[in-house]
Amino acid sequence: MANDKPKGVLVDLTRCIGCRGCQVACKQWNERSVKKTVLTGNFTNPPELNSECYTNIKYIEQEKNGEPAWNFIKNQCLHCKNPACASVCPVEALKKTKDGPVTYTFERCIGCRYCMLACPFYVPKYEWEKAVPWVRKCTFCSERVANGLVPACIKVCPTQTMYYADYDEVRAEAEKRMADSPGKYVNHIYGKDEAGGTSWIYISGVPFETLGFNMAIPAQVFPDLTWSYINKIPSVIGVVLVAGAVSWAITRRNKNTDKEE
Amino acid sequence: MTNNWIDIKNADVILVMGANPAENHPISMKWVMRAKDKGAKLIVVDPRFTRTATKADIYAPMRSGTDIAFLGGMIKYIIDKNLYFREYVANYTNASFLVNPEFKDASQLDGLFSGYDPQTRKYDKKTWAFQMDEKEIPKKDMTLKSPNCVFQLLRKQYARYTPEKVSSITGTPVEKLIEVYKTFGSTGKPDRSGTELYAMGWTQHTIGTQNIRAMSIIQLLLGNIGIAGGGINALRGESNVQGSTDNGLLFNSLPGYLAVPSASIKDLKAYIEKFTPKTKDPKSVNWWGNRSKYITSYLKAIYGKNATPENDFGYAWLPKLDEGMNASWLMLFDQMFKEKFEGFFAWGQNPACSSANAGKVRKALSKLKWMVNVNLFDNETGSFWKGPGMKPAEIQTEVFMLPACSSVEKEGSLTNSSRLAQWRYVAIKPIGESKPDSEIMNELYFRVKKLYKEKGGKFTEPIMNLTWDYGEMGADGKVKEVNIHNVAKEINGYYLEDVFDKKATPPKQLGKKGELCASFVHLQDDGTTSCGNWIFSQSYTQKEGKVINMMARRKKTDPTGLGLYPEWAWCWPVNRRILYNRASVDPKGNPWDPKRAVIKWNPNKVDPKTKEPAPGWDGDVPDGPAPPMSDEKGKYPFIMMSTGVGGIFGPGLADGPFPEHYEALECPLQENPMSKQRINPTVKIFYEQGKKGVVEDVFASCDVRFPFVGTTYRVTEHWQTGVMTRHVPWLLEMMPQQFVEMSEELAKEKGIKNGQKVKVSSARGEVWAIAVVTKRFKPFKVAGSTVHQVGLPWCFGWQHPEDGSGGDSSNLLTPTIGDANTMIPETKAFMVNVEKI
Repeated sequence: MANDKPKGVLVDLTRCIGCRGCQVACKQWNERSVKKTVLTGNFTNPPELNSECYTNIKYIEQEKNGEPAWNFIKNQCLHCKNPACASVCPVEALKKTKDGPVTYTFERCIGCRYCMLACPFYVPKYEWEKAVPWVRKCTFCSERVANGLVPACIKVCPTQTMYYADYDEVRAEAEKRMADSPGKYVNHIYGKDEAGGTSWIYISGVPFETLGFNMAIPAQVFPDLTWSYINKIPSVIGVVLVAGAVSWAITRRNKNTDKEE
Repeated sequence: MTNNWIDIKNADVILVMGANPAENHPISMKWVMRAKDKGAKLIVVDPRFTRTATKADIYAPMRSGTDIAFLGGMIKYIIDKNLYFREYVANYTNASFLVNPEFKDASQLDGLFSGYDPQTRKYDKKTWAFQMDEKEIPKKDMTLKSPNCVFQLLRKQYARYTPEKVSSITGTPVEKLIEVYKTFGSTGKPDRSGTELYAMGWTQHTIGTQNIRAMSIIQLLLGNIGIAGGGINALRGESNVQGSTDNGLLFNSLPGYLAVPSASIKDLKAYIEKFTPKTKDPKSVNWWGNRSKYITSYLKAIYGKNATPENDFGYAWLPKLDEGMNASWLMLFDQMFKEKFEGFFAWGQNPACSSANAGKVRKALSKLKWMVNVNLFDNETGSFWKGPGMKPAEIQTEVFMLPACSSVEKEGSLTNSSRLAQWRYVAIKPIGESKPDSEIMNELYFRVKKLYKEKGGKFTEPIMNLTWDYGEMGADGKVKEVNIHNVAKEINGYYLEDVFDKKATPPKQLGKKGELCASFVHLQDDGTTSCGNWIFSQSYTQKEGKVINMMARRKKTDPTGLGLYPEWAWCWPVNRRILYNRASVDPKGNPWDPKRAVIKWNPNKVDPKTKEPAPGWDGDVPDGPAPPMSDEKGKYPFIMMSTGVGGIFGPGLADGPFPEHYEALECPLQENPMSKQRINPTVKIFYEQGKKGVVEDVFASCDVRFPFVGTTYRVTEHWQTGVMTRHVPWLLEMMPQQFVEMSEELAKEKGIKNGQKVKVSSARGEVWAIAVVTKRFKPFKVAGSTVHQVGLPWCFGWQHPEDGSGGDSSNLLTPTIGDANTMIPETKAFMVNVEKI
């Protein structure tokens, strides 16, 4: 399936049974270890993504029409179309590839962790405890994708919760499912516009805000927010240099003039 | 399963009750979702809103232990609303049979059936018999109107199970009951199918067998047995437990579900006489009538040349049960506790955590002289002597650990819930000193044999005379390495001589001496065939001289489109993918539902080899090649029943021919709202204060000290007692600690917060658990009062993680009591208390 078109994933939250086969498959493929956990009263474990856990399922309970309702949210890097993390990275350790995955190359990383500040979804995690620390996040199984294979989490899912294809097909599938079953899904595709659009998009049977999704992410490409300022820096530097040179020249001339008098 | 995993996708309605497939068989949800994608409806009935319930179209809460009330109400609804499939019921079940007029049901005897003896706690089943005609065939009323016919008796038995009565027992709102009954009842039409998925939630009760019976009655009424998307489908709890029970792991069965004889059955003739059902009805196939061929071939398989007609094929060497002896799990550990035997092999199990009343088991282990722990890991059983409350200095048990390797480190077949035996290969060689179970057995066998040879012993023939052709013999007489293919072939069976069908003229040759049997149809009772397990005959066979491991096949063709995949591996019997499929057609052989035809009579069929006309069946392997029922040579569909029809009236069980609601041994009520009989009148009671039993078996019902209904269940992240999964860090990270789920209402009452450590206790023991306060449990309204229920997983044990942070087994809470027919422990309904620590 490797072609030149970027890939995407539709996560249909009405299909997930919360089995967490995806969470384990990811650990196996990426050779992750574990962190010590306790049961907090909610089954989400680990409670947040961390350097050993690229994806987890969040368990959200609620009530719908007086009956219990339970939803399971597949949580991982959304592989933004125009990622803030790659934009702020001074050394291009994080990069948006043409296949879709936002990849991390450790050899380039200088550990500034600007990416962790920049990501609106708080995805990248850091190996604080290691002497040679990496930034860690979901890789969208970039090597598998590049070789025509399906990402590990998607491969093991028994209920086809995730639909993996070229991004355009994935978008079309989301819209088709919503049109085919009126009333089944809420009228929102999460990731369509948030942060300027993400490769992983979600459709849901209950409102996203009840599932812990951040609804305040602007529908704007994040790097654009600072671009209008950053792109002026060369000009500013130029102006400062010229102003500095003129100021030096005038000061020097004045000093010489003073000396002569 | 009567059907299979993939067939679930063919259903119009899926009822999940007594199971939680999304959590415990997550791959099966692939097929449930396929069915839903086609418009099927999923109904989940469960005390708790589970991960499976999140996909349900209808979720009905129900108090643990009240399934018969729930299902009895469905039976009444189906009859009252005429939802049953009349032609199927009349022709394919015993609904039309006339019963002895002295038979009385539980509605007439306030919870009992006729023939009960309160002293022995047993039924005299004389009145549970059919009226026979002069030909010794049951009398029938095909109009189903006679007051003594099974159908009318069924209506009478369940007349008490009104929605209001059922609701007051189960705690399910009446509207929910009706919604479930109506939706599932809609599958009574010929072109609609309903399937049922169950597991331990139904079996692990004192009325467990009758729970299954109740659903069997419903499925027969609706015509759902034998059809695509139908059936009674047990979700087995282990990848090869089906294979284990198939091969005689249980104390009371030999491979192929042949009965283990008791000592009073003196010879093979007596055995065959006792266990071979008879019928005078020429239309009944009565397949168990072939019993003699299977037991004889089994004896030839295990004793080989040593088994001859003169020595009764070695029948005297078969292990026998003492008269009336029950060696089931609860009895075994009770005997161990009472020091009736010295040694114990805990082979691939962890009774210190898996057994009901685990505390009694842990004490029992301390009374042994020796025990052997055969397992991948050390566990609570092997290390019982170091466990909480144990005094190692006072324990005399010598414990041996024999490390076993896992299923990916050895070759062989696994038989799953679909009866499908799939051959597996070695992925990595066994690590360290671990060995496959077959090698461990091989070692044990030869050492025992050697000791017998050198030192003699009592009655050594059963061991010394065994065949053991499993591999190349070394100079010391021991098989150097077990070739598992030899075991598979022995199970399949051989023609020991040239075998002929003597009934044909001229006699037709069935098999050549030395070749593998084609199937159990060819097995003989004269010692000319061997077969280790008749239901597996054909699994490793020979076709035109070529040896074929049928279980290793992996062809993905699916001619019927129903997901039968006839050339993917091999299922028993004889690769029939849907059992009782003769009931999927009308008496003329035409499918009730042509769109989902499992088999179809084809009068124009031609033999592909001879090109001669050979009318026969298309589709799945039919339940016998006989023509359709209405044909002169036609047969009834339920070939394993001596009557040939499905049993709505079931006189074979210990506790009644119809299921009746009884409360669990420990229940929240003083009385059974349905009748005067509080508990199953035929269960073995282990403890009566001051009269019998050990205090470890104490129980407390309707006791203010233990006011909440407790149940146990599994989680996706762990497996069984967690011996393997607690050692997998990825799994322990997701599910690290013992927990107890409870309703928000109960938590408020007890001042318990979500995530808080609490103590759960029963009359027998206690565990700490993290409180999971949830909307998914709600209090039940039962018999006018509020009843709370809580639940715990049983996957934790003190031994690992070593810091004890995981918690200990919830089976420290469960009672010593078992089902009236199978003795499976009642771990799904008992009484507990929950308190803040």
